[in-house]
Amino acid sequence: MRRLNTAISILSIPLFFALWELVSRSHVVNIILFPPPSVVAVAMLEWVKSGQFAVDLAVSVTRVVIGFALGAAAGVLFGLLTGRFQLVSSLFSPIFHILRPIPPIAFVPIVILWFGLSETGKIFLVFWGVFFTVWLTTHIGVQKIDSGLIRAALMLGTPRRQMLTEIVLFGALPYIVVGLRTAVSISFYTLVAAELAGTFAGIVYRIEIAQQNLQTGQVMGGLVALGAVSFLADRGFAAVTQRLVWWR
Amino acid sequence: MTVQLAAHRARIESEPAAATIEIDVADVSIVFNSPKGQVVAADRVSFQIRRGEFVCLLGPSGCGKSTVLNTIAGFETPYSGTVRVAGKPVTGPGPDRGMVFQQPHLFPWKSVRSNISHGPRAQGKPASAARAIADDLIAMIGLARFADAYPHTLSGGMQQRVAIARALANRPGVLLMDEPFGALDAQTRIVMQESLLALWAQVGTTIVFVTHDIDEAIFLADRVLLMSAGPGRILRDLRIDLPRPRASEIVLDPCYVALKKECLELIRAESRQAFEQQA
Repeated sequence: MRRLNTAISILSIPLFFALWELVSRSHVVNIILFPPPSVVAVAMLEWVKSGQFAVDLAVSVTRVVIGFALGAAAGVLFGLLTGRFQLVSSLFSPIFHILRPIPPIAFVPIVILWFGLSETGKIFLVFWGVFFTVWLTTHIGVQKIDSGLIRAALMLGTPRRQMLTEIVLFGALPYIVVGLRTAVSISFYTLVAAELAGTFAGIVYRIEIAQQNLQTGQVMGGLVALGAVSFLADRGFAAVTQRLVWWR
Repeated sequence: MTVQLAAHRARIESEPAAATIEIDVADVSIVFNSPKGQVVAADRVSFQIRRGEFVCLLGPSGCGKSTVLNTIAGFETPYSGTVRVAGKPVTGPGPDRGMVFQQPHLFPWKSVRSNISHGPRAQGKPASAARAIADDLIAMIGLARFADAYPHTLSGGMQQRVAIARALANRPGVLLMDEPFGALDAQTRIVMQESLLALWAQVGTTIVFVTHDIDEAIFLADRVLLMSAGPGRILRDLRIDLPRPRASEIVLDPCYVALKKECLELIRAESRQAFEQQA
């Protein structure tokens, strides 16, 4: 039974591609609008060969990485402070709770007004999406720390700053990494919005241009590339977080 | 014994031990706010502990003995009365009073060695000095093979030994222990009690040890402060004049049996009284 399951799961993806190829070439659907995987593969190959793929990939990944890093750093910092100090929480938490539910994509129009088509605008959108998720999980993580650990640290005479960086941060880390991992997918959602809003390079930008030229093979190739990058980022991050919470 | 520990011991013994009061609990009442109103956890509790003494607070669960210990630690503020340690009023937790909790509460992301050296590091000691202190203590608790292990890989008894070493790493004048062996099985508990006495013989710290186990209290202590429940009061101050070093066979000693009988009778009379009050 298990062997059968393994065999089927190995066949799953080739079967999907075969079916897709068959349907596309069957004249039931318009082959221009619904290109078969073979056409998509050719389009992707040309994309890579032209050298444009490397540029698009680099630009998109840079936006995600910078936006994610800034959002994560700010989210952890604020989460530690609001989680640990009631006064800081009273000041910031209400504001964050008002802003958090607004989907980051809704900020695209105002971001264009503020930053034009510059990179800053794109990074800002990713930052905005990442920040609130990481802030909230860090804040909750800090509040869930075993109070016995805090007492032990106080009993040992741990100074305030060291309490934050050596006890509270690590105590909340299991929660923080969950927030960071969620934020990885969020950063790709916001990247899509940011690049659709207008830019000059990037994977999503390439998808949009191809759509306008009715290069459907290229459109689907772009989707495949975006899926692959997002998947690798998530898996890579999962591997990193395993090491980050090394004591479990 | 290492040089550092010898120095620690010398510091503790340099003053005439018999005369020096290390812990002075004077007329301390502790009140908690609960949904049903105020609950008196401790009612005008007074006692003094001399430097280097091993004192057990013995009483039934809920008698406020842990609350009294937490007040000495600085985690609770008394409603009235004062707590002084080494002459200074207690205003909050501090490195002069090491504490071992019921659960080990080791930092799970730190190795055994870094758990123990955390205190000295927090006190601004250089890394090498903190490490030397930790390694001394690790040798004393017999966990040299586990210096780099993480807490979750150790047994409950081993974790609690690390917790004791961590509490001693700041060379505190006072070691506070809140039913530290309560969660361990009976065999491990006896081994832990014996090794605690051996450790205490080396460092000579003043120890206040909370327990509800009569045998544990008599086996360990120089003095047993018997507490009653609701509200917590000191019922009796019993001197335990059993010779040291003590081994587990001491339970067969007639003196031990007599002391245990006295404790049992006091506790029984007290529980009967409490029972009748409730009825």
